[in-house]
Amino acid sequence: MNPAPGPHLSADDFDAWLSGALAPDTGEHLDRCPECQERADGEREIVAMLDSLSLMSPTPGFADRVMLSVALPDPFALRTLGSFRQRVLATPQAAALAATIAVLIVGSMTASIVWSLGHQQTLAAMGSWLTTEAWNAGWIALRGTASTLIEQPWYTALRSSLDHPARWAMLSAFASLAYVMGVVALRRLLALPAPRMAHVHP
Amino acid sequence: MASTPEWASLTDQQVVLLARGGRETAYRELIRRYERPIFALLFRMVRDRELAEDLSQETFVKALNAIDSYRPEFKFSSWIFKIANNAAIDHLRRRELDTLSLDGSPHAETPEAMQATALQIGARQESPLDAVEAKELGGAIEVAIGRLRPEYRSCILLRHVEGRAYEEIAEILNLPLGTVKTYIHRARNELRLLLAHLKE
Repeated sequence: MNPAPGPHLSADDFDAWLSGALAPDTGEHLDRCPECQERADGEREIVAMLDSLSLMSPTPGFADRVMLSVALPDPFALRTLGSFRQRVLATPQAAALAATIAVLIVGSMTASIVWSLGHQQTLAAMGSWLTTEAWNAGWIALRGTASTLIEQPWYTALRSSLDHPARWAMLSAFASLAYVMGVVALRRLLALPAPRMAHVHP
Repeated sequence: MASTPEWASLTDQQVVLLARGGRETAYRELIRRYERPIFALLFRMVRDRELAEDLSQETFVKALNAIDSYRPEFKFSSWIFKIANNAAIDHLRRRELDTLSLDGSPHAETPEAMQATALQIGARQESPLDAVEAKELGGAIEVAIGRLRPEYRSCILLRHVEGRAYEEIAEILNLPLGTVKTYIHRARNELRLLLAHLKE
């Protein structure tokens, strides 16, 4: 019988053989070398034994026990700066997009400042014209609203009903109460939420 | 109300994104996907069922509470296995366990506690005879794995029980690829020697 060609199989060769990816020339050596065959059989037996190890699971209710200690994030909470930076730098594309947006914002702000400094008289004239126009528009709107209100059929009755000072006092008290209630409601809405804890599924 | 996604069709990364949005069901899906492999790895690392369950719980709580720090360009499995392996190695450094008890934790003081912490063979086998044979064979290999150095144990379990690629094992264990290969070869050699008596 011809001796096996080439050197004995290395550890990497045995790995390749176990994965079914042994090079043909090395495979030829393995076919003819009893020493390597014995080693390969041993490796295969060990891998088969490891592969046949029993499946194991934690005791029932494991997920519930884990979830009791997990704080779920509030989807509406603001992301921290660290988290934001991590997302921005997550991929080269995201980082390039963020850099482009930053350059556009800074560039347009710089251009705006430079133009303003060079055209101060134009800006002052534009500001004056805008102020006058806004004042006129506001005055027209106020007059229009007031005349519309006075022309309403219920206006006279409302005015006569508020002639007595006691009625003004009641109206003021009602408005103050509504204001206080509004402030309390707003405070409750703006209060920071406590971290939500997962609940146990039955 | 948000619709229920088809979990099976989602990748780990997609499930993580849903979890980051505060969906409890996404957290539970991640636990469902990894509770068995993480528990099995930890059990075979620390050789105590009760302790393995505590470490598994610690692993998931740590990972899920830090889900925002997970970087999606890496595999979620690598990330959670790394946390689990670190938990096991930390424990083994703190406390040495020399003997494997298939009948229960070496720290169990009553028969009930030993029963509760005993290794529970799964449902791969059918008949009682098969179960006994499998327990004997499985017991021998479990004992042999328990005698390996912890770093060999992590490598061999991740490679041949969990089926992870060498590159992923290197990432999980924070070791060079060559070192991982060497550890796996040495672990297989040691197992072959430790199990040689079964062939006689």
